[in-house]
Amino acid sequence: MKQITIISGKGGTGKTTIASNFIKLAHDHIAVDTDVDAANLHILLEPSVIKKEDFIGGAVAVVNEDCINCGKCEELCRFDAISDSTTDIKIDHLKCEGCGVCEYVCPVGAIELKKEKQGEFYVSNTAYCKLVHARLDAGAENSGLLVTRVRNAAEDIAYAENKKLVIIDGAPGIGCPVIASLNGVDYALIVTEPTLSGICDFKKIYEVAGFFNIRTFVCINKFDINPENTEEILKFCASNGIDVTGKISYDENIPRVLAQKKFIIDYPDSPAAKDIRNLYEEFEKTLYS
Amino acid sequence: MIISVASGKGGTGKTTVATSLALAAGYCQFIDYDVEAPNADIFLKPEIKNVKKVTIKQPYFLTDTGKDFSKCAEFCKYNALAVIGTEVVFYPELCHGCGGCILVGPEGAVREKDVVVGDVSKGHTGKGIDFIKGNLIPGSMRTTTIQGALERMHDTESLIIIDAPPGNSCSMVMSVKNSDYCILVTEPTPYGFNDLLISMEVLDSLKILYGVVINRDGIGDSSVEDYCRNKNIKIFIKIPNDIGIARFYSKGGTLLDYDMSYKIKFQNMLKDIEKIVS
Repeated sequence: MKQITIISGKGGTGKTTIASNFIKLAHDHIAVDTDVDAANLHILLEPSVIKKEDFIGGAVAVVNEDCINCGKCEELCRFDAISDSTTDIKIDHLKCEGCGVCEYVCPVGAIELKKEKQGEFYVSNTAYCKLVHARLDAGAENSGLLVTRVRNAAEDIAYAENKKLVIIDGAPGIGCPVIASLNGVDYALIVTEPTLSGICDFKKIYEVAGFFNIRTFVCINKFDINPENTEEILKFCASNGIDVTGKISYDENIPRVLAQKKFIIDYPDSPAAKDIRNLYEEFEKTLYS
Repeated sequence: MIISVASGKGGTGKTTVATSLALAAGYCQFIDYDVEAPNADIFLKPEIKNVKKVTIKQPYFLTDTGKDFSKCAEFCKYNALAVIGTEVVFYPELCHGCGGCILVGPEGAVREKDVVVGDVSKGHTGKGIDFIKGNLIPGSMRTTTIQGALERMHDTESLIIIDAPPGNSCSMVMSVKNSDYCILVTEPTPYGFNDLLISMEVLDSLKILYGVVINRDGIGDSSVEDYCRNKNIKIFIKIPNDIGIARFYSKGGTLLDYDMSYKIKFQNMLKDIEKIVS
């Protein structure tokens, strides 16, 4: 069983577009959406949920009326989460990382760590394969932990059903959910675009993938909107030994096709459809070689 | 006044809107809170005068003392430490730097060092904009630590414009939580709409007022507009889908440079927001 994660650094470069079309083209596979706070894959794949589980994330500190306002917790909190501890203590749950230092130092046992439900995750059937997806509660923490849960669930199914491939749609950025989506996968596909922002973020995400020693491919989306920038990406890839597996043409139909919840590859006249098919074929060659 | 610019979905045009608003305002403090992928400097082109490293404390264990560190491992909520017999295995990428292991461990045998997780830089654009950005180093997961450092640099006397990261999790909340008003940038597709609704849920729970800018208008359907009209949510500006804008953007050009008429549109949006907030 092999796993591929589709990432980008910059948002909106086309991760979900590529992932969804790969999901339709592949066989013997499972799909995973690790963009848990802005998931989109389900919109296109129209899943029917067969299993739902609560996500219990990390704990936060809660103070009760036994507090004697000694101030020790505020002094030792590294996350600036406790204020006014000598008058009327407040714990900022956004800043609290649930480390338990305050609970440990409290001389009267007035602080307790409490875990709460922070979202849900689902295993679903779709027309193409099983999909494991999630919904993090609006504004919640621990998205990385939820990504790990979702991926573990997908791996269990893949082993049980003897699947060959897990296709993981990643989150934008380079932070914890992205790192959790890369940990232990076989391949990373970076979707970039020839904009100055795209290039800047591409270099950062490439560095992150480097920490995991993952075989990395690059695909340049809308490569023809700025040939000079595309050239710069190609140069960077050449000098770092990165495989550029595909270039996808700017195609004004793509946003419309997406908006209608359809797959680009179903439009054979679209230049982008051909490019995405080629990209998948290239990837498949590596996968089954 | 603090105005943040956010969006659930990535790549909808947050930075385009935030930089346009800053340039239209003239004088303001602009802060790029998208520390994992900061891009606003490409468009505002500030002269950076000052870069400060952001560090966290990370423990190290004096194992040659022969002391027992098992209490540290028991305490650690992040499983960053494993003690197997006399061997101590530390996973720095899991450590949050809380200092708990020092409190519970053998006295003097757990020490700390500073580890760099990123930096914050400061400069000016020459057009009246004080520019600040945060930058997370690849491989680090301390996004909100960098954002905390940015929060301490707010100039409360000034109009502050915040460019937030995509998504609807803690790093987005850290970016918008002090705002008087939040502009949500979306695109008129089922994806943009889906993520917009989650962002609205976050802002409602934080009791922050918001309005909407629609980017790439014309590519999709009317679900965003219909929804906003029904809920009485203000749509300030609709930016049409235009390959010319995309090409201009790819070179680091701003929307105001592309089409001067946007200046007055963004100035009007700012006036509207000032009225709503006061």
